[in-house]
Amino acid sequence: MGKLLHAIVIGLIGAAIVHIVVLLLVPEFSERDAWSNLSMKADFYTMTRLDAEPGSPAPIKSIDPLFAAAACRFDLADGMVQVTAPGALPFWSVSVYDRNGHNIYSFNDRSATNGQMDAVVLTPAQMIEMRKALPDGFEGSIFVEAPIEEGIVVLRAFVPDESWRPAVTKFLSQSSCDLQQF
Amino acid sequence: MLKNASLTLLALAIAIGLGGGSVWYTLDAQSGGGAIRIGPWTAFPDIGTLDADPYSQARVARQGALTLGRAEGLSFIAEADSSGEGLRRNCSYTIEGGTPTARFWTLHVADQALDPIASGRPHQAALHSYEILRQADNSAVITVAPNAAPGNWLPVNGTGPLRFVLNFYDTPIAASTGLSDIKLPVIVKVGCNG
Repeated sequence: MGKLLHAIVIGLIGAAIVHIVVLLLVPEFSERDAWSNLSMKADFYTMTRLDAEPGSPAPIKSIDPLFAAAACRFDLADGMVQVTAPGALPFWSVSVYDRNGHNIYSFNDRSATNGQMDAVVLTPAQMIEMRKALPDGFEGSIFVEAPIEEGIVVLRAFVPDESWRPAVTKFLSQSSCDLQQF
Repeated sequence: MLKNASLTLLALAIAIGLGGGSVWYTLDAQSGGGAIRIGPWTAFPDIGTLDADPYSQARVARQGALTLGRAEGLSFIAEADSSGEGLRRNCSYTIEGGTPTARFWTLHVADQALDPIASGRPHQAALHSYEILRQADNSAVITVAPNAAPGNWLPVNGTGPLRFVLNFYDTPIAASTGLSDIKLPVIVKVGCNG
């Protein structure tokens, strides 16, 4: 009886250890994370719609059925990335995530110049270079300093009703995600 | 000998079964570290950020979700009504009350995995604050029911557990520490089919 109790106590201590180990390993070994799902869908610097298509689930789980979203993967080791989209909508927002899906920075249309979506994601080192001489074409851009290399930028747009659907589709389909060298 | 081996096996079974199972259980539950509960609603303001606790990080990795940033909004999830009874898809509910400051909010119904439930009708199973009919005091009364209802109607169908997801966009509550002071609508069960 004493031995059985001993075994159960050891088992419970072991369960606590397994719980902690499994918990910490889940993010490392997850093959269904946003980065993996997105990389199966599109290459770097390509804006991809995040909607579910008939027959295949959405690459990244939708947060809100009243929103449409597009995302692109980038690698700041190659250079900075400029994300733009045309048109004015009731609400749009942008989030920059690192490779593990942590939200690094986010902003919405109130932060943008004239409500136009134009953002540049770059490392602090690239930002120093940028400050020395601002090249043409970046006057209205929002600069997002991210101390990361690989990452994901997600563009979300609110669709209040079906009449806004064409404008949102145009906003997302004409959005661009370009590698910029200077 | 055999007794020792079976005791070792028992200890291992408890360790792996209970350890793994408890992780699985806590990741599915809408509670745990970093959760803020206001009435029936739960939010994880730190989820998806580098400040998040290991449970939130594991939850994000497992769902493959990219969570809303602080400048975007904050998501509240309800899995029970205000009396603590679990939400069911074959029941009718009234969601009533004021909402915290935000540019706008959206409300939709979701299943246990937080995937939105399609209404199966032209009317989408989601509402937002720009289209809501309001009471004289600016609060809203929303009827969640399988059958059409006057006023603000959020359609549901099928059977099984139900979740309400209330997202606030461009809101100061996502960044403030005074999250416990805010008021959210109450969820009252009206009745059930079958």
